[in-house]
Amino acid sequence: MVTVSDLQTGSTTYNFEPVLECRDVSVYYGGIRAVDGISLGLRPGKISGILGPNGSGKSTLLGAVTRMVKLTRGDVLFEGNDYSSVRSGDVIKLGIARTFQTVRLLPDRSVFDNIILSTDIACHGQPKEVVEGYVRSAIERTGLEGYELLRPTELSYGVQRRVEIARAIAVQPKLLLLDEPTAGMNRTERAEIGLLLRSLQSEGLTQLFVEHDVAMMVETCDYLYAMNFGSLIAEGLPEDVVRDPAVQEAYLGKHGRKHA
Amino acid sequence: MIDFLSSYEVLIQLTLSMTLLAISLQIPLRMGVISFASVGYFAIGGYATAILVAQQGINAWAAVFLSTILGGVIAYILGLGIAHLNGLYLAMATVSFSLILSVVAVNGGSLTGGPVGLFGVIGPITTWHFLVVVAVVIFLVSFTERGKLSRRFDAIREDPQLAAAMGINVVRYRRLSFLISGAIGALSGSMATLMKSAISPESIGFGLIILALTVIIVGGQGSWVGAVLGSLFFLWMPQTIKFVGTWEPVLYGFIVAVAAVTLPGGVLAVYRNWRYRRTAAKVIAQQEARTRDLAMSGATGGGSGDGV
Repeated sequence: MVTVSDLQTGSTTYNFEPVLECRDVSVYYGGIRAVDGISLGLRPGKISGILGPNGSGKSTLLGAVTRMVKLTRGDVLFEGNDYSSVRSGDVIKLGIARTFQTVRLLPDRSVFDNIILSTDIACHGQPKEVVEGYVRSAIERTGLEGYELLRPTELSYGVQRRVEIARAIAVQPKLLLLDEPTAGMNRTERAEIGLLLRSLQSEGLTQLFVEHDVAMMVETCDYLYAMNFGSLIAEGLPEDVVRDPAVQEAYLGKHGRKHA
Repeated sequence: MIDFLSSYEVLIQLTLSMTLLAISLQIPLRMGVISFASVGYFAIGGYATAILVAQQGINAWAAVFLSTILGGVIAYILGLGIAHLNGLYLAMATVSFSLILSVVAVNGGSLTGGPVGLFGVIGPITTWHFLVVVAVVIFLVSFTERGKLSRRFDAIREDPQLAAAMGINVVRYRRLSFLISGAIGALSGSMATLMKSAISPESIGFGLIILALTVIIVGGQGSWVGAVLGSLFFLWMPQTIKFVGTWEPVLYGFIVAVAAVTLPGGVLAVYRNWRYRRTAAKVIAQQEARTRDLAMSGATGGGSGDGV
């Protein structure tokens, strides 16, 4: 467990330069308020997590941040610049890469091809050798050496997940968004992904991580947000957030108290 | 060689025009667009060339060029209107487009020559010229089957949302696929008409859609190689099985059915899978050896051995 004592509790004015900032971000579908007035600023170089039960709006928020979902209200800022009107396809060029809730790899393509796909447009204009260097480095950092020529169908679920992370980091992002990267994994595989995220963090990569496995969140994140009904109900150090009565009430229930 | 060419010239011409038509069908399909409009583009190219050459007396090569452009433009406009439709709806809309054009050809009066069609479409274009035209198209298309473009096509087909997240403009690519498909389809019709010196409504009917589709199902959808193999197979096979006499159509149908069942993804995919399996077996053996070595030396690595 990593304790981070230098973190401040979040407020609308930050005493650090937020990598990503959400200001009053809201997404309504008709009368349903999927995300309702979320404001947060991500600490540079840290792993932040969003915890919340199914349907609490976590994935919609991730969709809003990647511009896949239209904002009803509010602004999203990356490194201080408003990108609320940027097309979703251009978000990757800003330096925001993501993984998806389900494994999304091209089945008839090799691991190498799947990874280099992300760089095709995001790294457009850079020399081929440089881009291939990014891809090789992503393969090394995710422990995928030796798998390059295989197709995803040949790989276990845990390894497929690592290919997705490799694809995301190959574009040299400044922010990595992970949508339930350990969903459907066994304990060993989860621990591996946790280690991987930690090692990426040691390289200075800021990460935002959506998940509902509480133990994993507490172990991996430096800072935690808890969501319910589209709003933030708590934020702070992971140990504090999971002990928060509102969070326990809304999300953890009796089962979750064991972890707190 | 010359003897061979003269005795099989018509068959060679048919193979060449079918290859182009199959490529025209493949381009949108490689981006997940199931479009049968290629036969319609073939009709547009064929009739435009016939009208320009036989009625207006325009130079044959100029007519080929103009017909190709016309096919591309009409296809692009069609794409603007229907590219947003999904799967079967798009398929039906494009089948309708092709069938409507054959009806227009029958009822086009003196412009299209009605049910009889147009004759005397004669130009200085030979089978050798046609071969060069097809080679040029294949050369250009082959660029989309390598590197970045090929990956983009695959991503757009397999997972458009993922492709969009990777920054690929899916809508623009799909519209472009209509344009290219239209130009190649029209080129096929234009050249075929000049070879035969005639075009009639029956040569652009439903049968042509089925034949073109069968060609890429058996040959393979992902590459021009599949289009060439499929065209060769379907146009030359009736020649080679002639000895069975009246049973020929039955044997032909049987071979098609067997091919469809036993060759998923076409001849090309079977070859590619075989080649991949050989690579994969080697890689997996290496991985296993590495895992064994790690286990022997008692090292506990970060999960480098799982997965296979």
